[in-house]
Formats: sequence, structure tokens, C-alpha cells
Amino acid sequence: MTTPDLSRRALLRLGALLGGSAALAACGGPSLSESGGAAQADIDWSGVQPASQITWWSNHPGTSIELEKEYIRRFQEQNPGITVNLVTAGKNYDEVAQRFQAAAGTDNTPDLVGASDVWWFRYMINGQIIPLEGLAQHLQIDTGDYNRTLYDDYAFDGQHWALPYARSTPLFYYNRDVWQRAGLPDRAPETWDEFEQWAPALAGIVGKPPLGLGPGTSWTAWWFCNLMWGRGGAYSQEWTLTLDKPETLDAGEYLRAMVNDKKFAAVSAGGDDGYVADFSAGVTACTMASTGSLRGILQQAQFEVGTGFLPKGPAGPGCPTGGTGMAIAAAKSPEQQLAAGMFLKFLTEPEQTANFSAGTGYMPVRTSAVDSPDMQAVFAETPQARTAVDQLATTRVQDWARAFVPSGDQYLTTAIERIMLQNENPATAFSAAAAEIQTSYEQNVARYI
Amino acid sequence: MTVEHAPARRPRPAVGGYLTMAFAVAVMILPLVWMALASFKGLDELYQLPIQWLPDSLAATNYVTATQTVPFGSFFVNSAIVTAVGAGLKMTLGLMTAYALVFVDIPFRRFFFYVVVCALLVPQQIVLIPNYALVAQLGWLNTYQGLILPGLASAFGTFLFRQHFLTLPRSILEAAQIDGAGHWRRLWGFVVPLSGPTIAAVGLVSIVTEWNDYLWPLLVIDRPEMMTLPVGLTLLMNFDGVPDWGVIMAGTVLVTVPVLAVFFLLQRRIVDGLVTGAVTG
Amino acid sequence: MATATTPPDASARRAGTHREPGSRPRSRRRNQLRNWLIFAVLAGPNIALLVVFTYRPLLQSFFLSTLQWNLGSPSAVPVGLANYADFFAAPGTPRLLAVTAIFTLATVGGGMVLGLLLAVLLNRKLRFRGAARTIVVAPYVLSGVAVGLLWLFVFDPNFGVLSALLGGLGIASPAWYTDPQWALVMVIIVYLWKNVGYVALIYLAGLQAVPRDLLEAASLDGASPVRSFVSVVLPLLGPTTFFLGITTLLTSLQSFDIIRAMTDGGPLEGTTTMMYAIYREGFANGRAGYSSAIATILFLVLFVITLAQLRFVERKVHYA
Repeated sequence: MTTPDLSRRALLRLGALLGGSAALAACGGPSLSESGGAAQADIDWSGVQPASQITWWSNHPGTSIELEKEYIRRFQEQNPGITVNLVTAGKNYDEVAQRFQAAAGTDNTPDLVGASDVWWFRYMINGQIIPLEGLAQHLQIDTGDYNRTLYDDYAFDGQHWALPYARSTPLFYYNRDVWQRAGLPDRAPETWDEFEQWAPALAGIVGKPPLGLGPGTSWTAWWFCNLMWGRGGAYSQEWTLTLDKPETLDAGEYLRAMVNDKKFAAVSAGGDDGYVADFSAGVTACTMASTGSLRGILQQAQFEVGTGFLPKGPAGPGCPTGGTGMAIAAAKSPEQQLAAGMFLKFLTEPEQTANFSAGTGYMPVRTSAVDSPDMQAVFAETPQARTAVDQLATTRVQDWARAFVPSGDQYLTTAIERIMLQNENPATAFSAAAAEIQTSYEQNVARYI
Repeated sequence: MTVEHAPARRPRPAVGGYLTMAFAVAVMILPLVWMALASFKGLDELYQLPIQWLPDSLAATNYVTATQTVPFGSFFVNSAIVTAVGAGLKMTLGLMTAYALVFVDIPFRRFFFYVVVCALLVPQQIVLIPNYALVAQLGWLNTYQGLILPGLASAFGTFLFRQHFLTLPRSILEAAQIDGAGHWRRLWGFVVPLSGPTIAAVGLVSIVTEWNDYLWPLLVIDRPEMMTLPVGLTLLMNFDGVPDWGVIMAGTVLVTVPVLAVFFLLQRRIVDGLVTGAVTG
Repeated sequence: MATATTPPDASARRAGTHREPGSRPRSRRRNQLRNWLIFAVLAGPNIALLVVFTYRPLLQSFFLSTLQWNLGSPSAVPVGLANYADFFAAPGTPRLLAVTAIFTLATVGGGMVLGLLLAVLLNRKLRFRGAARTIVVAPYVLSGVAVGLLWLFVFDPNFGVLSALLGGLGIASPAWYTDPQWALVMVIIVYLWKNVGYVALIYLAGLQAVPRDLLEAASLDGASPVRSFVSVVLPLLGPTTFFLGITTLLTSLQSFDIIRAMTDGGPLEGTTTMMYAIYREGFANGRAGYSSAIATILFLVLFVITLAQLRFVERKVHYA
């Protein structure tokens, strides 16, 4: 510290530090190019040995953390060489996905990650996940046994990018006690027209609009598919937006009227999860909620809970599927991807999927699991669980504008919430959403496909 | 004079003043009471109409659930580490820099002072994305250095310390120098002991700030074992169902009560700290 | 020695010609090198951190705002000023600016008025006022997330304590969670609850510095308490008011925790301020370039405000 020699060295080091930080200014950002993330070529898995440690990002859908830990335990028992680290990566699908996006390009990516209906496509175009055909073949995953709709939800360009895990449909939940007091048959309404006729009697008992609707992203634009498809509308046909189609606008108008004019439905005042709380507490007589909410509702409700198919519209039934699948990260070594694939295979085997379904209310994703003794026992004990599985036959794959266009779900949610909460004209609300979806499509999708 | 005029005021009883004060205090306290009550209620008691005011029992069920669902122990340890190391280093850096700016004689000293002070002009939100990208690229996500380093530099503290150092009598330092004390000893042996109240004031405020910091830890931490209390708390808002306010409020009690306890213990110093920052700045 | 009596600022200005007192007859260059080294050791780390984590990202952010870059994507496309054009053309921008303006005005203006009233109250010779002051300031030290969560349940339109209290008065609870306007009112109330104690505290310090004789002189003139307050005390609190105005404005424009914990910017983006939009666009929607553009715009606004503040601080330091 006292000799000039040392001091000169120290000054140099200080200079290097400052200079280094100037160099750092350049890093931590993207490189400039015209092309986006590209999918990698499929590898030959036969010579690959599974890695000894993998990380799994989940939000434990349906409060399933204990179940997930149990599956890890079982898996590790079968495969002593592989350790699975379970990470709570967020409280919902959106948070998991946002983290996964933000972690890209860092060494913090998981091997196996939750990929919900509205997020997996964005992972794909960002080059963050791998197609699973090669891995499935190598690991002899019986893809034919997955429920076809649920499996094909992750298909694009002839390849599958995730496997179904915690999959759900919306159900019509009703308070059987209120139904009885209103003198209604013990079932969900067949059609929206029928529900409209029942509504006054129900409103007389609960003292407010009988049907509770839930707001929020990853939700509103999902159940609205029921009203929309039931009236022949759609968000889009492949990449072409159909938000200005008369049928789509008609569905928007029907929703606007039922909340704002006829008042037989109301947005839950309790916020994003309020519709479940309201229904369970007996504030509303019925609601549309996910199959994944079944366990929670049954536990909490002090009355008999009935479940049924979503009501049909003039054009027939309309029911989307949703929930989350699991995808494998592209940034990982083949060894890790293989280990992740082995765990993913295990996770979706009939035994686990039946157990998961019984514990949460999510649907068994394997056809063979539906007929398994485990599942039959579940159905015997809680007949409500059967509804979702039966309803699967009426489901269809989602419109791309919601599922594939980044933030598409958010823009649609805003439009639908405006229609419900601010009594806005559906044509105005949807055209605003259409403009934003179109921009997002051009910026985020068009150039990559 | 005062004696003469005091009676003129006395006839107006201060009832209104006391009522207003009671109202203000009630507004401040009641939400905290509601939080504490809710933390003892089960789901059926929470979601009941008309609402149930008092819990059926004072069993700590929700507290057990909260601590079992998420690792509150490690949140607490992480918050303590980040606060202690972060606030400690920040203070040290601030003291050293302020000392150098005041007592070490080099050309362009004023320029460096401006380098420090102008950093106050740069708000947190503009550095978020670049700093996140850098920390991510360095592999520092989910690490203490990733949590602490980006916010470590001391600008406001340096400024306050400098203002204070400028008021110190130079004669003491010159005496120390004549005794052969180097800069290092002059800083820690003379200047720092003379700055007790300022250091306490700045220190307590920066401890509170570090302890409550949310946005940055939210971005760089996603492993529960590395989370700090504010970030970990939000893990209790679980998905797919009714929020269990009893458990969430139990968690909130666990986060707020220690801070309140420390605040009431050290309130005079903390209040001084807040006022010092304002008066000087 | 000359230096002993010269103010250090002045000596700094003449640093080039100044010799450290008591230095041994050593070459000046060598002495200066030594001082540089000591300066580097003492101030270097802090300045280096500022360069790396404050100035570097500031510059990089301007650069990123000219890119179309999805956070997480390894590559980006330069788009010039398109992000800025998009921002000003976006249909949501007027609402975003309005929400920011309302939130800022209500929290800053409301906070100053309420804080001043509280300070006046606590400045009166009431018993327990010390305890009351402590309680009023207490929420200021709590975590914004915890505050947001605990208030969220207070506001629950069906099961919260507020709806029960309002119900007792025969008022139906507003739709705090689903009506954009009421949601904004809700987060403003919570923000004020948390921060008003600080404003009151600083005003209290200002009030206590007001000389008693002045007040007494005013009351001798027969001025009513309100009039003497407005005409005598308020002007004296001018510097305090100015300081509080600037600092609370900066804090308010950067507030995040409460909104994040309570509304996540919703419903219908009714509580999305510019700060929140930066987070949402950058980290939730992954539009890092666009987010940087919003950050740059907000920065320019803040920059002007902060410059004004620094000016003021300088003046205060010089005339103190």
C-alpha cells in the first residue's frame, strides 16, 4: 500500500475493473439477428445415459405438492440412479411460464417444466422445448393410450411438444340443496335456454344472480369457449382471426345480456378465485369451475354438490380442455433430457395418473387409466369426478388465437371482462383485442413459423 | 408570557383532538387486528356470512400449516443474511466513500462526488431488465450475490455521510495524522466514532429497506430455499381454489410481527433515522 | 495552516494547488499517486458497483428500448424507435397514463394533506401523543407485500371486515376486486395507510422547528388558529412541503409491492401504473424491448423531477 510499485498495480487493477464493467455493458443482452430460436434436430437416443439429477418446475396444480413428492419417491425407488428436484416455480401456470421464459439462456432452466395450454406454443417458438416423438419412441411411451384430444393439444407441425399431465375441463357445479328448494330436477341445465328459465327460481332463493362467473387470465377466455362454440363462433380459424364473425359477436352479446340485462349471472366480486369461494359458501347457486377445483369444493361446501356438463348453445355443446402438460427443456444435455423423459413417462403412467386424478379432480390422461380399478373406485366414491371424463367426448382443441399467440389469452380476457364488467359492446371489445392479437402474431409468431 | 396565554387556550377542551387521535390510531391498528384474528380461523369460519368476528379457538393450526407448506425458517434466515450482509456492506462502502470524498486529497474529487450522487437520479425500474440479464448470464440467479450485489452500492448513504463528515472538526483528524494514524485508522478510529447518530440513523433505515425489498428478489429468486420473507409469503396464495386466508394471514403475521416488535423497541432511533434522512436530504 | 480554516469544499476546488498539511518533503507526484491509491481503495468498490449496476444498465436500457426482444430469447431484432411509436399508439396507453396520474396525484397529494393534518394533531399537547405517533408511523416499516395481503382480506367484498362494517351502515360493499375504478381507490387507500405516517413524521419535525413566539404573536393579533396556521406556519413549512412533494412523488411513481400483492395490475388493467407496466411487459409478457421503452419514458419524467430535487438539496446545503 505504500510502495509506488504496488500502487501502480492497484491502479491498473482498478482500471481493469472499470474497463471490465464497460465490457460488461455489452453483455447480459441478446445478440442481434433476424432469426428466432430454432428447433434442434432430433438426436439418436440409443447411446445416451440418463443424468443423475433433474429439476422439475411445477405449480402443484390442485394443491398437489404432496402427491408430486410421492411420485418422485416412487420413481426414485424404481430408478435409484436419478434424483428429481421438485421446485415450486410459481403459484399458477402463468407464473411458472414467466419464470421459464425469463430463465432462458441462463443455467437456471429446469429439465421438466409445466406447459399449460396457452404457454407451450410460446416455449416452442422461442426454441425452449424439444419435440417428444424421438424420446417417446426410444422410451417406448405408449402415446396411443393418451386421451387423443389431450395429447393432440400439444401438436404442431406434426410433432408433439409436451405430454398431458394435470388436464381439466370446466364443469357446471350446482348446489343441490338450492336446486331442490327451487323445485328443479337434480341435474345441470341441458342448454343455456333452459338455465335462463330456471334462473328466476334460483335467484329467488340465493337473493342475487344465481350463476357466478370467474374473471382473470388463463380462465375467462377459457370458459367463454363454451358460450362461443355453442353459438357457432370461434376466436380464430388457424391463424385467421374470427373475432368479427357474427356468431362470435352473438356469443359476446349473449354474455353481455346475461350479466348486464337479464342479470342471471354475475362476475364474482371476490376476484380471481372468488367464484369458487362464493359457490362453496353458498353465495351463488352454481358456477363454471375447473375439474381441478373439485376436491377443494367438496371439502369446503356445507351442502350437496352436483356436477354436470356445461350447457349447450343453439349450435350444440362446446367445451374446451385446459390445464397443464409437461415439456422438456431444449437447453439441457441429452442425458438430462433422457432422464426427464423417463420421469415424464413415469408421471403419466396409468397408475400415477389415476392416483393424481383421485387426489385432485384433474382428469386421468390415459384411456386405460379411466377403466382401471383405482379410477373405478374413485368414481364410486365421488360420482362427480365421472362428469369430466364423460364430458371429454364433447371437447375440442382450442382456437389458436388464444392458445398459440403470445398474450392472446390476456387480450381476449380483457375484452370479455369489458363485456361483462363494463357492459361494453362486444364488437368494440373484440375489435380492440383483434388488433392486439394481430400485432402480437406478426411480432412473435409469423416470423418464426 | 407563556403563562399568560396558556389559559386562553385551556377553555377549549381537547375532546375533538382526542377523538381524532383515537380514530387515526384505530384506522392504523384495526387491519392488523383483523389479520391476527383471521390467522386463527378455519376455512369454514372465514367464508361465513354474516362474517364471524372472533375465531372459535386460538389453536395455531394455520401457523403450523403455513410453516409446513412453505419453509418459513429458511425465508427468515435468507432475509436475515441478505439484510445483515447487504445493509452492513452498504454502510461500510458508504462510510469509506464519504471519507475518501472528504478527506483524501486528489484532483477531480468533486467529479467522483457527482458520479456517486447522480446515481440517485437513476430509478430502480430502468435498471431492472439489464441487471436481470447480467445476473442471469453470470449464473447468479438464486444466489446471495445475485440478490445482494446489484443493490449494494451506496449513493444516498454516501451523500448523508459526506454531509456529516464536512461538519467534523478538522483539528481532530490533523492531530490524529500527526500521531501517525493512517487514513484507515483515521476513518475507523476517529471519524466513525464521531458519527454514531448518523450511522445509526442511516443504518436502521437501510435495514428496514433491505428487509422489505421485494421486486428484485422476486425476479432473481425462484427456489423456495433461497427466497426472502416477502417473496416467500406470496407462495401461500395457492392455485386452483379458494385462498385460505387463515393460512395467508398466519404467514403475514409471521412476517410483520418481528418487524413491528423491533420497531417498537427501537422506535426512537428509527424515527430519528427517517427524520435525519429528510432533514439532510 | 491555511487548510485548517478553509471549508473542505473550497479546498477541494483548489485541490490542484493544495498540499496536504503535515506532509513530509516528498515528491508531490508520488504523494498524489499515493492519495489516488488510497482513494481507489476506499471509494473504488462503491464507484465500481455504481458503474456496473447503475450506469451500465442505464445505458443498456436505452439500447434495449430500440430492440424487439423477447426476454429469454437469445437474439433480438433492431427496430429503431418502433417501441416508442407502439407505446404512444397502443390503445391502452391513455388509460395507463391516466391510472399513473391518478395514483400519483392521490397518493402524493392525499398523503401530504393527511400527513399534515396528522402532524398538526400530534403536535398538540395531547396525552399519549408519543404513542400515537409511533403507531401511526409503524406501517411504514412493514413489508409492502404483507401490507397488501392483509388489506386484501379486509377489502374482500363478501367475507371481509370492511364489507361487514359498511353493511352495518346499510351500504353495499363496492366491487373492490372487479371494478377498475374501485380497485384503484383500494390500492390508493392501502398505499396511504402504509406511507402517511412518514409524511406526518417529517411534517411534525418541521412543525416543531416553528418558533413558538411566532404562533403566539399571531394569536396575540387575534388571528384564529386556522388563519394563523395558514398565514404563518404553512409558509414556514414550505421547504418541508417541497422536500416531501419530491420524495413521495418519486416513491409513488416507483411503487410496486402493494399493487403486485393486491391486484396484479387488474382488474382490466385498472391498477396498472407505468412502473407496473414495465414489470408486466418485461417479465410477464416477455417484451423486454417494449418494456425498456416504457422505462426510458418514465425515467425521463423522473429525471426532470429528481434534478429539481437535487437543485433544492444543493441550495439547502449551501444556505443551511
